[in-house]
Amino acid sequence: MAKPIDLLQGTLDMLILKAVSLGPLHGYGILLRIQQISKERLEIQQGSLYPALYRLEHQGWIASEWGESENKRKAKYYRLTAAGKRRFQAETEKWNRMADMIAGILSTTPEEV
Amino acid sequence: MTLGSRLRSWQRTILQRSRTESEMDAELRFHVESRAEDLTRGGVPLQEARRRAQLEFGGIETAKEECREARGASFIETLLQDIRFAWRLLRKSPGFTTTAVLTLAAGIGASAAVFSVVNAILLKPLPYPDSSRIVLPELVAPAGVNLGSEYIPWGQLQFRMLTRDAHPFQTVGAFQNDSFNLTGAGEPASLDGFRASQEFFPALGVAPELGRAFTTEEDQPGHEFEVILSDRLWRERFSADRNILGRTVELNGSSYTVVAVMPADFAFPRAEEMPSSFNFPREPQLWVPLAIPAEPKPGPSELAVIGRLKPGVTVPQAQAAVNLITEHVEAQDHRYVGWFNMRVVPLQRQVVGDTRLPLQLMLGAVCIVLLIACSNVANLLLTRSLARRREFTLRAALGAGRARLIRQLLTESLLISVTAGAVGILIANAGIYFVKTLGPSNIPRLREVTLDLPVLAFALGVSLATGILFGLVPGIAAARENLVDSLKEGSHKSEGSRMSARLRNALLVSQVALALVLVISAGLLTRTFFQLLGADGGFSAEQVLTFQLPLPPLKYAEQDHIVALFGNVLERLRAIPGVQSAGIGETVPLGGEGESTVIRMPDHPAASQKEMPFANFTVISPGYFSAIGTPLLRGRDFLETDTTDSMPVAIVNAAMEKKYWPNEGAIGRQVGPGTTRFPLLTIVGVVPDVKHTSLREETAPEMYMLYNQKPWPSMLEMRVALRTKADPASVTETVRENIHAIDPDLPLARVATLTTLVDDSMSQPRFSVLLLGSFGALALLLASIGMYGVISYSVLQRTQEIGIRMALGAQRRKVFGMVLGQGARLAGLGIAIGLVAALGVTRLMASFLYGVRPTDPLTFAGVSLLLLGIALLACYLPARRAMRVDPMVALKYE
Repeated sequence: MAKPIDLLQGTLDMLILKAVSLGPLHGYGILLRIQQISKERLEIQQGSLYPALYRLEHQGWIASEWGESENKRKAKYYRLTAAGKRRFQAETEKWNRMADMIAGILSTTPEEV
Repeated sequence: MTLGSRLRSWQRTILQRSRTESEMDAELRFHVESRAEDLTRGGVPLQEARRRAQLEFGGIETAKEECREARGASFIETLLQDIRFAWRLLRKSPGFTTTAVLTLAAGIGASAAVFSVVNAILLKPLPYPDSSRIVLPELVAPAGVNLGSEYIPWGQLQFRMLTRDAHPFQTVGAFQNDSFNLTGAGEPASLDGFRASQEFFPALGVAPELGRAFTTEEDQPGHEFEVILSDRLWRERFSADRNILGRTVELNGSSYTVVAVMPADFAFPRAEEMPSSFNFPREPQLWVPLAIPAEPKPGPSELAVIGRLKPGVTVPQAQAAVNLITEHVEAQDHRYVGWFNMRVVPLQRQVVGDTRLPLQLMLGAVCIVLLIACSNVANLLLTRSLARRREFTLRAALGAGRARLIRQLLTESLLISVTAGAVGILIANAGIYFVKTLGPSNIPRLREVTLDLPVLAFALGVSLATGILFGLVPGIAAARENLVDSLKEGSHKSEGSRMSARLRNALLVSQVALALVLVISAGLLTRTFFQLLGADGGFSAEQVLTFQLPLPPLKYAEQDHIVALFGNVLERLRAIPGVQSAGIGETVPLGGEGESTVIRMPDHPAASQKEMPFANFTVISPGYFSAIGTPLLRGRDFLETDTTDSMPVAIVNAAMEKKYWPNEGAIGRQVGPGTTRFPLLTIVGVVPDVKHTSLREETAPEMYMLYNQKPWPSMLEMRVALRTKADPASVTETVRENIHAIDPDLPLARVATLTTLVDDSMSQPRFSVLLLGSFGALALLLASIGMYGVISYSVLQRTQEIGIRMALGAQRRKVFGMVLGQGARLAGLGIAIGLVAALGVTRLMASFLYGVRPTDPLTFAGVSLLLLGIALLACYLPARRAMRVDPMVALKYE
């Protein structure tokens, strides 16, 4: 397994939105989901997950409600709101454009300049 | 983010604060426990799994804090949290909290009470519309002419000359006090009232509650039989009858038609709001038209003038305009040169009058109390923040930001100061009650003093300011601490604690100095008070009944008639069993100012009419001096054998003899009123100076003459004095019956014993002593608490050092002395600074003092010793504690 890389500034919000866009999840579930889809290559500070969740909820992009977890305990589940969905799409497009651009810049050879 | 979600979030924060908090707990716990479960599934033992799960998660509290911030409404929430925390902390040290709150509450309460008085008297506008435009044009005596007062009353002609050219005034009116015998409505009563010109009420801008003000027609001779009643008179005498308008009442034997009733709070002018030389009544009860004739004769009259400036005209502009009038008048008639100078005085300033200085004194005194209270609380908080240095260091090490720590300290001090403000308002309320009940009646506008919005705002402002100051200073000091150093070094010895020890000592020294200034001031006033009690007023007050006998002017128009009446009255009163002696006079001691006049003396001829000297002039009957208990210094008293036909005689006071015949004595000399129409009187006796307005007054030369030797004053408002064998109050009813037996229409006014008059004249100095005395006592108490606190703390800090000293063989007595010495040094420094400050401050008080110099060495020394004694007493307990330090325990202490 490759050495996990640190999370880029500001990307945690996007990862959370992606995780809950696949279905409602509790906080721990979000952590597991992100690790799972990143194939364990991303290191997430667990303590910083919750402030991000609270911030997203405060901004109205995700909503929460209490439910029962798989191990029969009370857990707080987060789901994407309609506003969150639009935001996620916008963010994704922005990210893709940015990634393409940076990849383009980085792959430039001396001859092309 | 939508507005809705923002609102929902806030609502959640505020309404369901504790629920979100426990939900957050549950959520985070769920996370950690789930992680631990996963780890056990991987084969890790439960204990180890929990530990690792927590480690992986990181700082739970930090995460919570960040979550709270992320939720948005963190300010209110952390504020509530801070307040809860502060409250818990303060409750844990009730001694500190109570001392701090009560100390500050005393300071805030006292200053708010004084501020309420200052606000009502100096700051609040007068209760008349556009009151800044109301002025009193006053006639000023020519320079160098001593009339006993700076102002001369207006004459009718002069008033007409002013109104003819009254350019700066929108309206200007005149008024004059008079007393009115009300008859035909129950018991006859003598009522204080005013004759006021038609412009009087418009100048004030006040309209009657019922009816209308005087018309121009009514303000003319022959038409002036209309009366306006005060609300009080209307309620007391006419049972608040709303149909009173148009009814007639009998005043001084004439019928007057009631045209109006004034609003409840209207009583202009009150005595305390006007120059005292006018001798106005305390509270007028009625007004009638002044009715100046169209062509008034020149000659004296006792008018006062009031005007309302035109809109936009300032007082200096008005002054310039009346100066032009003066020039004009002087140019037309040279007899007026020097005698028509006017000064335009705003009514507000006249009303405040002489109370500005005492008020400033009070304000200064209370500021000192507040300063002492503040420095005391600052010391307490400083001491406490030092003791809490470890706590703060620990919290900072655990990740609390600097701002967060300062905010916490600020919350604590604000909690203290706002609580103190609330308690202070209660104290202020009690103080206002005290001032209104005990305050002397000659303080203007005292009845308007209330705990109103400006006072509440003042109290709140002071508490917030003190709270912020005291929270911020130790807070910043604490936040600047070097974490590592303070953790390593324990709770003392660092640079910071040496700094704050110096600060604490400086605060203590200033407390002692401030308290000394205040107590010395109070001491000087107290000595003044006792000097006054022992002052010789020239009479003996015990068992003397006095009253006024106002005569209806129509019925008693002839002087012979009056003389006969007084002879009759004296004969009847002297026959009452229990009456020792009886006399009639224009004034009674401390009953107010009498008349004064220009005099001529053949052995002191004046160069011109202008330079003729003035003297007080009092008409009396035989028996007057023995009734008021004034002994004769030389010569003889007036006798029954001095009559209209015998030689006209006079008695003068010691001040007059000393001024004009210091070596040869006054007996046998001649003196007379300024005009030669009246004969010269031969002086037959000399009496001590009798005081008229207060025991502290500088007595002026005074001459007495007999009522039956054709004096010129009207004698319509003479006073009667009776010396009785028993309680004077016991004969009051008999006296009343005897007077009514002579004339049933004669009212008895101003019935009072001489002791009451003395007491009334003492109310102002007594009040000052009470007020400054209680401030002084408060300052002493606060300063001794401060001393106790500082010395106790320093003993606590030096416990280890003391232990070592003792272990090395120091005597217990020596330790005791060392602690006491520390206190004495601080107190001594404070006293030295305070003495210098007091020398400067007490000079400002010179006008309040009597019989004691502002630098009275006895007071200065006595108060210094008292303060030193109290300071040592405050050190005694901590010093004893230091003496009992067990070296073993002390060395283990840290």
